[in-house]
Amino acid sequence: MDPIEVHSLSKNFTVKEGAAFRKTSKTITALEDVSFSVKKGEIFGLLGPNGAGKTTTIKTICTLLQPTSGEVRVNGHDVVKESQQARQDLGVMLTGDRTLYWKLSGRENLEYFAALYHMNRAQATKRIQDLLKLVGLDERQDTLVENYSTGMRIRLSFIKSILHEPPVILLDEPTMSLDPQSARLIREIIQNMRRQGHAILLTTHYMEEADQLSDRVAVIDHGKIIAMAPPSELKRSVMKSEVIEIEAQNIDPQIVEKLRGIPSVNEVVSTIQDPSSLGGMVKVHSNDGKNTIPEMLGILVKGGVEVSNVKIATPTLEDVFISLTGRALRD
Amino acid sequence: MTSISNTFDPLRAIFRKQLRHLIRYPGEMVFVFIIPYLLTSLVIAMGTSVAGPQAFANFAAQTGSNLNPFVFLIIGAGVWMVSWVVMEGIGTLLREEQMKGTLEQNFLAPINRFLLLVGTALSQIVITSLLFAGVVGVSVLVLAPQAALGLLVSYGILMIGLIPLFGIGFVFAALVVRFKEPYAFTQAANILFGVLTGTFYNVTFLPVWVRTISAAIPQTIVIQDMRLSIYSINGIVGGFGSILVLLAMAIVYPTLGYYFFKQFERRAKITGDLSKF
Repeated sequence: MDPIEVHSLSKNFTVKEGAAFRKTSKTITALEDVSFSVKKGEIFGLLGPNGAGKTTTIKTICTLLQPTSGEVRVNGHDVVKESQQARQDLGVMLTGDRTLYWKLSGRENLEYFAALYHMNRAQATKRIQDLLKLVGLDERQDTLVENYSTGMRIRLSFIKSILHEPPVILLDEPTMSLDPQSARLIREIIQNMRRQGHAILLTTHYMEEADQLSDRVAVIDHGKIIAMAPPSELKRSVMKSEVIEIEAQNIDPQIVEKLRGIPSVNEVVSTIQDPSSLGGMVKVHSNDGKNTIPEMLGILVKGGVEVSNVKIATPTLEDVFISLTGRALRD
Repeated sequence: MTSISNTFDPLRAIFRKQLRHLIRYPGEMVFVFIIPYLLTSLVIAMGTSVAGPQAFANFAAQTGSNLNPFVFLIIGAGVWMVSWVVMEGIGTLLREEQMKGTLEQNFLAPINRFLLLVGTALSQIVITSLLFAGVVGVSVLVLAPQAALGLLVSYGILMIGLIPLFGIGFVFAALVVRFKEPYAFTQAANILFGVLTGTFYNVTFLPVWVRTISAAIPQTIVIQDMRLSIYSINGIVGGFGSILVLLAMAIVYPTLGYYFFKQFERRAKITGDLSKF
């Protein structure tokens, strides 16, 4: 028995559309036949773009949503039939900093949630002090959360999720909006928890984070898992292609699409980072990268794209996603 | 941990959290405290302007009560306010938690939902008891000091009468989770209850069919019995039957209300309503 077991999980939502009195119902499939398990002492990354189904997966595991079909078990407890037992074994950090009481201090928030998780008061007091110190909030523990910075709130929200030392931890974008130092600290704590034997399910937008932390990664898109393996194995699957990264200004998607006409090119995606200058990155997966660069540049320059840098890069998990879907993660 | 501390520690934590919030957002308490005085003054002014110098005598003749009209009316206004806080409180507090994003955090905890609702309600009991003591107690002691003993009995009646209101509060909480418009439901219900329960008059004035509905609302009994007990400590003797009715309501209403809430919670898990604003 693994701490998290998800079998053939599907989740549909019914949404109403249209003006009053003319509303029509539509069924949206958020998850379709999702299956995976997370072992003890494993970090399992769920990687996918916005709306792919990452948060729905987490909310179903943590009993906030009921599956349409399929089965989810947390430490052997069915999340529908034994939801209270499942919740006792779960630590959950949902996205955002509005998961705390802003009119309570950091310490008061933790004391409140410690009681809800049936922690012994003396043990809770010590644990709270240890965790506050761990994330550098001990000196601000009596400050109301409304006076915390976003980073401080996210750190507090994170330690709230691990307060009762749950065997299973679900982290939904735990480092979003954090400064690099705080993000590094949170990642270190997550790695320590893995060493202590916690089973950790992590969703993230950040490819580097998923790559660095995860023992295995599931790539999810449109509610389906489209690949699942250790990050190194996933990256190896795209190694047969070279990844060419072209930094440019005035990127015209129609010109970029012309690159698909080059026989050795498998995938092309462009990401605009600066809308005013149409500046950004064009990523090309090619079987013959070095030899096709001159032809690529010729097409781009002729189309008015101002190329500033070209390099052959090592494949990342983003490239895995591109090769699987033909789209960038942030599309 | 024992099951007793498993129950009471979360309950205590919810209670403390609510109290801290009330202390740190004091404006609402001040507002709620002055409302009964304003409402009572309004009714007295209206009555006096319509009935002229004979207003108080007419009032005694019509109601059959020798209570000071201000005391008579402020009991109704006080119970109405307390009921408002309890019924609306449970629903609106859940809505506020939903808006703040903390409702999901509470629902993630391994505690029974009943504890969550009761914990929220308990804090309302303390607050409303204090407010009621301030509003009605002061008025009775100043205007009808001989009724001090009856005042104590009346608090007992109020405490019993608050329990069935939690059941109605649970229904509001369920509607809030589903429709996310707490004020539309609770304010309509509060005004309706104000009319049906004899807040500013005896329900005997109401048509028979309306009185039948009034009898099913706990505040009707609470207001009547409190007026009786304050008027005369012996007056309540005749009302023991109604206290038994209140006790029965105290069992039936919260049970039904919680069942109703659980049905809506189950639906919210299917639709994802908990995190929708």
